[in-house]
Amino acid sequence: MDPLAELKQTFFQECEELLGALEQKLQALDEGSTDSEDVNAAFRAIHSIKGGAGAFGCTELVGFAHVFEASLDHLRSGRVAVEDAPFTLFLRCADAVADLVSAARNDEPATERPDLLAALEQVGKEPQAPVAAPPPPAPVAPEPVAPAANNDAPIGIAALGNLLAMAEAKTAAPAAAASDDGWDDEPAAAPAPPSNQPGRDVHLRIAPEQRLFRRVIEPRVVLGSLPADDIVSIRCDLSQVPPLESIDVSDCWMRFDVDLRTELSVEDLHGRFDFSLANEEFEINFLEEAVTEAPQVAEAPAAELEVSSAVAADLSAILAKLGAAPEAANEPDIQPAPAPVAVAAPVVAVEAPAVARAAPRAPAAPDNAARQRQAVSVRVDLDRIDKLMNLVGEIVITQSMLVECVRSLPYDVHAKTAEGMLTLSRQTRELQDHVMAVRAQPVKAVFQRMPRLVRELAQTLGKEVRLVLEGENTEVDKTIIEELADPLTHMIRNSMDHGLETPDDRVEAGKPREGTIKLVAEHRAGRIVISVTDDGRGIGRDRLLAKARSRGLVGADEKLAPEEIDQLIFAAGLSTAEVVSDVSGRGVGMDVVRRNVESLGGRISVDSEPGRGCKFTLALPLTLAVLEGMVIRCGDDRYVIPIASVIETQHLASTPIERLPFGQEVLRWRGEVTPLYRLGDVMGSMGKTNENIVIIAETERGNNVGIAVDEIVGQQQVVVKSLEANYGAVNGASAATILGDGLVALILDIDSMLRLAASGGRNPQSDLKMAG
Amino acid sequence: MSLQLGEKHFSSAQPEAAARRIVTFKVGDRTFGIDVGMVREIKGWQATTPLPHAAPHVRGVLNLRGVILAVYDLRTAIGLGATDATATHVIVVVDVEVRPAPDLERDEHGLIEGLVLLDTDIVALLDLAAVIRDGGAEAQIKTSRAA
Repeated sequence: MDPLAELKQTFFQECEELLGALEQKLQALDEGSTDSEDVNAAFRAIHSIKGGAGAFGCTELVGFAHVFEASLDHLRSGRVAVEDAPFTLFLRCADAVADLVSAARNDEPATERPDLLAALEQVGKEPQAPVAAPPPPAPVAPEPVAPAANNDAPIGIAALGNLLAMAEAKTAAPAAAASDDGWDDEPAAAPAPPSNQPGRDVHLRIAPEQRLFRRVIEPRVVLGSLPADDIVSIRCDLSQVPPLESIDVSDCWMRFDVDLRTELSVEDLHGRFDFSLANEEFEINFLEEAVTEAPQVAEAPAAELEVSSAVAADLSAILAKLGAAPEAANEPDIQPAPAPVAVAAPVVAVEAPAVARAAPRAPAAPDNAARQRQAVSVRVDLDRIDKLMNLVGEIVITQSMLVECVRSLPYDVHAKTAEGMLTLSRQTRELQDHVMAVRAQPVKAVFQRMPRLVRELAQTLGKEVRLVLEGENTEVDKTIIEELADPLTHMIRNSMDHGLETPDDRVEAGKPREGTIKLVAEHRAGRIVISVTDDGRGIGRDRLLAKARSRGLVGADEKLAPEEIDQLIFAAGLSTAEVVSDVSGRGVGMDVVRRNVESLGGRISVDSEPGRGCKFTLALPLTLAVLEGMVIRCGDDRYVIPIASVIETQHLASTPIERLPFGQEVLRWRGEVTPLYRLGDVMGSMGKTNENIVIIAETERGNNVGIAVDEIVGQQQVVVKSLEANYGAVNGASAATILGDGLVALILDIDSMLRLAASGGRNPQSDLKMAG
Repeated sequence: MSLQLGEKHFSSAQPEAAARRIVTFKVGDRTFGIDVGMVREIKGWQATTPLPHAAPHVRGVLNLRGVILAVYDLRTAIGLGATDATATHVIVVVDVEVRPAPDLERDEHGLIEGLVLLDTDIVALLDLAAVIRDGGAEAQIKTSRAA
């Protein structure tokens, strides 16, 4: 891939994160948060998207983001009160931005959204009483744009955008502040001309840290945040710029000296840089009054990158303990501290804004923790992790192969080797766990798509819905993450369409107009459990039962318990919505969900309370990459049965077997008549079979079956390998694995095996014996 | 990717008319050739795991460095019955895109793309996609004819 395309790819990845953050913040604000940090974070997210989009020439995206940003800025500046802001509109705009991003990503033509643009333009234009909200509290630890996880990638992107900016600033530095290129139109409201203007003379020394561009800040943004009319002069100090051959375009070496005549107080000025610069990066000197702000650490030394973040955190923690303001860094005994402070202080993780606000001047420990976390995380291509995972799988196989070799060694050698093998086994297992942990992702990746779904559905269906998300940080293997989106979408659609009533009906039923859907994820017993709960009308049992009867799914005089009726919702071809909409109601929803979930080794269930609501619970394994299996032998062949399907094993001889008229064998197990299948017959195993053991297994529907096999070889964790990748689906098996001797064994899928047995018109033996 | 089974008797040759490099091998006493570009690797005989109810020419699956591949028995595919594997048999790992069968009447040479004369040998160029796709069906037709 060429470098630019690679950068672009990274940009789109970032966009996804930024869009997630944007939506999350807007959602929080919509739900009543008045935290100005949420506003700032939302603003920063859209600003970063706009910046990157500009660098890659995504003009539609830039255009829209710009208008969006401008209206968010009204909130930031306090011109529009947060309480009055149209967050529903903003959320729809965030969706539109997401669409534009994906259009740009796929090189598709973008859809124009003049309606939204027009609505956005109106924000802040309505005659609103000027809000008394003061400018952002001044001495708050400034929060530079810290796009989520920008430590590795966006350097190049920032550099592209900023190269231009740098050139511009170099040539036209004095004018830069006044130029309004339509990108960063910070309020420039001070009316009077600078000459006879009242106010004090202030000298500003702006010495941004070297990493400025990497924070997606450019000098233009910084200078643009000063009232243009107050600026007397701007000088760009290029003395720090290294020789051309050694310059890294993503480093910022420019320093600025700005003379101002302004009425703004120190706090106001601080506030202006709130979003772009750290305290250490600028110095404010009041000339006439000689009131000097406590000297700031003038710049972030170039050595900062060599300072480990752990050290930085330690030092900052010490500072925090001392209750010291950043100025304390100038005190002799902490003289070595400036660098770490410079690193630690400006970065306030987007995730932890509240803390920053609570302890503005003394970076609190959680900040540092967040900082540290940020510093040590890297973005890794999923392919690489997959390769690692495959390799670990190989090691597991080799290792079990070795274990088998060791068994055949003479005793004296064996004992010692076996000990080593045991350690190796443990370490391999540990290695596997750790690699699995690397692949783990929070379910947030899927959850954050849901608010949009709910919003759009609410509009289509004319319902009012509040979505509550819980446990978004629950981690699960990425193979499962990929499989979660579909069932969740279906479940939420189902709840919105069938579960929740229209607002009027709700009021009539004595419920709040707005329905609530709760999406909760948690770990339970080695599985991930996700539930979708609504407070709607619950399942209409009478209707469901009537429908099931009319479709012949339930006998006319069959009596069902209420819970059993509820489970009918998973039956194929049943939909109780009176109007077939494009949302759901085609009756292909929940049965498909159930099938898909079960094919992943998961379960889904429903609890409903008439009039009160309905709860779908989805339980899935934490990974699809490995499974705990029972290795069995039948004839010459070995198979793996997932332990999750096995209920019990026993000797066949001790089990009474009867033969039904059509040849089907059944056995009596715990007082129940259970069908018995001989694995050798069903799968056409080669070699002579001699079934000794019966495995009682459970099907997806919860029925029990007996499977007769020759021998149980053992129990082990097996790495799941696809058969479809290079061959195709195999009846009776869900996948394959590689056993210790390097040979392939099929992983049995009980349900598929039973279907195979039922359709077993052909005699499997003759087909395969040919090849034997 | 899939695997072909043949006897170890290889030569790489360049027929003069069409500038194609082919790998030739013998199944029984017949010489076959496939395009060298398709061949990923040639490996010694290895035991396979049979698949239930697969077509007769699907010998089974094996593990190639962690990837599971299907092994097709070329001998069965051309209607000569199953290969009785010996140490001299090899597995040819090939990369083939198997498209759905064209809706055409196939003649008995459906698996053969063409014939090349190489020294005194007549080399039959195999259409591997066809071998993999319907080698079994072909074999059945031929077997029934033979019967």
